[in-house]
Amino acid sequence: MVKYTINRLLSGVVVLFVISWITFFVLTVIPGDAALLSLGTDATPERLEALRESMGLNQPWYERYFSWLTHFLAGDWGNSLFFGEEVLTLIMQRLMITVSLAVFSLLLAIPVAAIIGILSAIYQDKWIDRLARTVMQLGDAIPQFWLALIFLVFFSGKLGWFPVPGFIPVEEGWWRSIQSLLLPSIVVAIGLVGYLIRIIRSSMLSALEQDFMLMTRVNGLSSAQAVFKYALRSAVIAPVTTILMQLAGLLAGTVLVESIFALPGVGRLLLVAVEQRDVILLQGTVMFITGVVVCVNFLADILYRVINPMIQFGGERNA
Amino acid sequence: MRKGKNNRLVLLGIALVSMVVLLCLISFIYLPHDPNNMNTLDRLHRPSGEYFLGTDQFGRDILSRIMVSTRYALLVGLVSVSVGASIGVVIGSIGGIAKGVLQSVIMRIIDGFMAFPGMLLALMLVAVTGKGLWNSVLAIAIFMIPTYARLAYSLVIDQKNELYIKAAKSYGATPLRIIGKHILPSMLPKLITQFSSSIGGAILLESSLSFLGLGVQPPNASLGLMLSESRQFTLSYPYLAIPSGIVLVIAILGFNLIGDALNDYTVGRRTSA
Repeated sequence: MVKYTINRLLSGVVVLFVISWITFFVLTVIPGDAALLSLGTDATPERLEALRESMGLNQPWYERYFSWLTHFLAGDWGNSLFFGEEVLTLIMQRLMITVSLAVFSLLLAIPVAAIIGILSAIYQDKWIDRLARTVMQLGDAIPQFWLALIFLVFFSGKLGWFPVPGFIPVEEGWWRSIQSLLLPSIVVAIGLVGYLIRIIRSSMLSALEQDFMLMTRVNGLSSAQAVFKYALRSAVIAPVTTILMQLAGLLAGTVLVESIFALPGVGRLLLVAVEQRDVILLQGTVMFITGVVVCVNFLADILYRVINPMIQFGGERNA
Repeated sequence: MRKGKNNRLVLLGIALVSMVVLLCLISFIYLPHDPNNMNTLDRLHRPSGEYFLGTDQFGRDILSRIMVSTRYALLVGLVSVSVGASIGVVIGSIGGIAKGVLQSVIMRIIDGFMAFPGMLLALMLVAVTGKGLWNSVLAIAIFMIPTYARLAYSLVIDQKNELYIKAAKSYGATPLRIIGKHILPSMLPKLITQFSSSIGGAILLESSLSFLGLGVQPPNASLGLMLSESRQFTLSYPYLAIPSGIVLVIAILGFNLIGDALNDYTVGRRTSA
């Protein structure tokens, strides 16, 4: 286990290193002139030269890369060209909204996906399974921004069930703040449900096919008892790790929803960075999100290893 | 029974894709109105005999704009996936036959790309390539490379130690010939399967980028852009938001269904063999 953790940690560090290199390379080496990319062609030569100097563009790329990386690791992510503030501060200011959005949508998606996923595995090829497969297909095919638009028009506009788009800060009341995130969360959740059903269904199907499931019936358990006491326990592992990974991926997966519902989160920051071609802000945001994704994947992997053997050998140990 | 169900889904997929292709083909022969003509007298005209799906806030005919949009959707889907897949397969195959440092370097870079959440990678690439139709084609093509490189790599590794490859090597076939003549044909079923699903994904990505204002630029029509342009008006004129979204769902669902069915077919054939 220790050996596995160390190996996994090392490969995680390698991936992070590669990601930092890709991010740096794609954003500052390929375009040729990151200063020109940021300021546009109508910038004065003096401003360009000043920015080039401050970004260190007059040095060879590998020197720039290492200087950028060392600063980055020390927490100095530079100042956004557009906002003129520190990139790390800008991200931290907006992180709460995106994380709340991600957590709310998972809280909404998990129960629905769990019920449909488990039932569709137990009643394979029955109507509930057909429903589950339809939900999965539609979930993949319906663009999130379209769903958001329709929901906004219908639930917020026509029915007035939800407040107009925009974020209400916590200071103006917890409930109102949560309410302003509710409809966007529902939209994100609907996109997640299809994906989660797929994971839960297949995990449950393989659990039901295990030999121990036959044993439980031989030992005289009813099928409901067998499902609740044994199959669910063994089926829960894969979804738990997947959900963790989804949570991290949502940091970048809410761009469209944040843009439609006017929520000032990390996704919006990312969009501004792309629109304004703010290379420094973009570098920081991309590194932040992928960094979180890689770390969470690492933790999920370790967690998977920790839960898994207990379930596999738990019976023997107790005996 | 499963086979019958599968066939029905394939047929549904083909039917949906055909509808979009038909709409696209007809757009070259006949358009009800000029899609970019702004007729200010007829702005926000509800669906009628004259304007079958109504007009937008500039008085442009929505049906004509949707028909033209399908050209872009299919173009972006086919071109970006073809380009991305070709480059990806070449890189992945090189990774598969290469040894030592070169192999590790190629595969670590692919792993790095795969670690990016999809939307993040797409946005980062668009930031470099810039806005516009062809720039988003380029960004989506690059976006597709890692998936195909991974797939090709694993397929080459799978086949590398098969007896018939060893036999080919033993009578002196060059690596290039082995890849082109033996390994590539064996990859085709998997690649075609992935291809169909990727087109659905590429159409979705293009529409998302256009919606964010990073893809097809006005006054040209794209399904995503149309939805984004009519945003302020959809509350009073909901008909603006419905048709283009439905066409988008039809296109994506169609390609996804074909991809899924092909996947079941190739996997099934493998286990039965």
